[in-house]
Amino acid sequence: MRNLLVLFRKDFLNFWRDRAAVIITFLVPIVLIYIFGYVFGLNKSGDSGPAGIDLAVVNLSSDPAAQVLVKALDAEKTFHVITTTKGADGRPRPLTEADARSAIRNNGYRFALVIPKDLIPDQGIGIHLKFLSNPRNEIEAQTVNGVLQKTIFTNVPSLLGRSLQESARRYVGAARLDTFNRSLATAIADTFGGDRTQILRNIESGGFGFPAEPKPAADTGLRRIDTPTPAATSAGTPKAAQDSTDRVRDVFDHIIRIDSEQVVGRQVKNPMASRLVGGYAIMFLLFAASGSSTSLFEEKKAGVFLRLLSGPVTRGQILGAKFLFGVVLGLIQLTVLFLAGQVLYNLDLWSHLAPLLVVSLFASAACSSFGMAIAAVSPTQGAAQGLTTFLVLTMSAIGGAWFPVSFMPAFIQKLSHLTVVYWSVEGFTDVLWAGRSLVGVMPSLGALALMAALILSFALWRFNRGRLFD
Amino acid sequence: MLTLQSATKRYGALTALDKVSLTIADGEFFGLLGPNGAGKSTLMSLVAGLRAADSGSLSFDNAPLGPGAHAARGAIGLVPQTIALYADLTAQQNLSIFGGLQGLRGRDLDRRIDEALETAQLAERRHDPISTFSGGMQRRLNLVAALLHRPKLLLCDEPTVGVDPQSRNAIFEHLLRLNREGMTIVYSTHYMEEAERLCPRIGIIDHGRILALDTLDGLLTRLPFEDEISFPANDSTAPLLPDLAGNGEVVSGGDTHRFRPRTGYPLSSFFALTERFSLHPRLFVTHRPSLENLFLHLTGRTLRE
Repeated sequence: MRNLLVLFRKDFLNFWRDRAAVIITFLVPIVLIYIFGYVFGLNKSGDSGPAGIDLAVVNLSSDPAAQVLVKALDAEKTFHVITTTKGADGRPRPLTEADARSAIRNNGYRFALVIPKDLIPDQGIGIHLKFLSNPRNEIEAQTVNGVLQKTIFTNVPSLLGRSLQESARRYVGAARLDTFNRSLATAIADTFGGDRTQILRNIESGGFGFPAEPKPAADTGLRRIDTPTPAATSAGTPKAAQDSTDRVRDVFDHIIRIDSEQVVGRQVKNPMASRLVGGYAIMFLLFAASGSSTSLFEEKKAGVFLRLLSGPVTRGQILGAKFLFGVVLGLIQLTVLFLAGQVLYNLDLWSHLAPLLVVSLFASAACSSFGMAIAAVSPTQGAAQGLTTFLVLTMSAIGGAWFPVSFMPAFIQKLSHLTVVYWSVEGFTDVLWAGRSLVGVMPSLGALALMAALILSFALWRFNRGRLFD
Repeated sequence: MLTLQSATKRYGALTALDKVSLTIADGEFFGLLGPNGAGKSTLMSLVAGLRAADSGSLSFDNAPLGPGAHAARGAIGLVPQTIALYADLTAQQNLSIFGGLQGLRGRDLDRRIDEALETAQLAERRHDPISTFSGGMQRRLNLVAALLHRPKLLLCDEPTVGVDPQSRNAIFEHLLRLNREGMTIVYSTHYMEEAERLCPRIGIIDHGRILALDTLDGLLTRLPFEDEISFPANDSTAPLLPDLAGNGEVVSGGDTHRFRPRTGYPLSSFFALTERFSLHPRLFVTHRPSLENLFLHLTGRTLRE
């Protein structure tokens, strides 16, 4: 028994001395649990889910109800509502639909809601909205659609009620409106329950007459605007109440008309693959580049540097060759992965070959620099491997390789812009999804080039101060 | 000619090499003998240009040596203490890489690789990863990899650590042949047997300082005795000790006494004494003094401490 305990203590001491093992065992899972928990709404504070997604709102209506809708959207944490743009004189002016379309095409933002002049149409019942999108990230697009529906459904019942009253007046005439309203109140009370007199009062005052706050469906984040709304599923909801809510939503679906238009990416053959392959490719590229760079430790351990440096080889040449190898390996790896995407998922590479190769080259350079920096700051190969696992998984999570950046807390969204993953995914998506040319991906290329230069400079500085070549 | 003048190297508070001055002539086979941590590898690394001296100067054939002196380093080959090769690559691939870095190309490179593999007796295994080689085979390849560019000066930093006797002999013979052909060799070791066998001139180094520098015979004359006689430490030999102590030094260790007679003490007197106590001559073994004795004499400790 004593031997068992002594050996147990030995294993524990060894484990504790291995920083890489400790990081992988504890820190990596905690960080990922936090990020995934936030994304899937497990945050204890309830402050989770997407936040601050840019939503341009073009309000062409003078109806006060339209302003109510804009305020409701602005109050929704998911959205960062944009209603103005800079005019030629530099002063802000209201957005136009053309502005919104242009900005969506240029990746200024990805979603816009156009409230037309005839928000409440002269003909027909309900309200009419137009939704413009660049669904470069499927999950984000579906979430935006869902939250948009919820906001409209829950915040503008009076708008719908007034729309109904106006339509009823047109169709049945002012003289028979009272009879119509009574019949409608009776039908609503019979269908959904409630006090018929109260419902009638609501209808006459412009209120819609349904229960004031239909529960937002738990799955609204996963539906498209133009598809039928499935039954709201809320655990523990009594069946009768749920059926009632379902019927309310069915009615809403028929009354609210939202014309949805995808502005960017309609030509993409395989939207899902176009969005996904780049993210996963860059994650594995980071692992490969770091593995390549941390092989410097093996060479040091073997004493190869002594042989190299005693000959006509400089430290700079050793590091330069390692960086170059990382870049070329990355380029080959990305090419193979994209070709696999082409074979497996019909990914359209050939239409975007030149910009795709250039983005791949810059991403490879940035990843290779990252690998060099890992090797430069790590005291041992084991530590480098632990740090690589931690940073690559974290950067992949917050940089948009797995799910949209907008699903992260606000401070992480800002941090994501400092990651190689973010700008690489942006570049790949710009090319494969939006079909941008080299000029169009310049922001991503610039960011990647800057990162590669800064990270590599830091790595070289550290190598010069470190003991790798001692 | 390799020249060091007051070469000093410090690592923080530790002075690894302390004002070492040394001249090694062309074609010399010079031994650097000292225990682990004595400063041998530091001296080698300064000569090889891996590190810069904090003070003093080093030159080879009048060209300064140091990290920036790429031209001079082209004339130097280093056999590091470790197997400084790429373990997953084959013998041929390793030699091709290191030969290429030395500026060899094409047929010239191929020919020298063939020669090196023949010399290392590894021609049959040229396409095998060296991780599959025995320790001795790896050591032989480690040596020939430093010779591809035919350096004028070869630095061997304990090149036989962990090598079987057969491979050790092969390495020795190869080094001696290279030296006969004119190559200057600096050979560091903490095995006195290697220094005695290979090196006509030896420097003994400890704590970063050269304690003695001479030919083997010259070094041994620094000892205050010429012979050493060992015999068992037991009751039968105990009566010898008082007489011996008056005629030299008796060092006792474990179950053995070592008698080092003072200069001029005739061995005939010693054996007359043993006869007086009826001790059989086979109990007594006469040794020639070794570098081990000299190192102990100079430092008060053994080479392997």
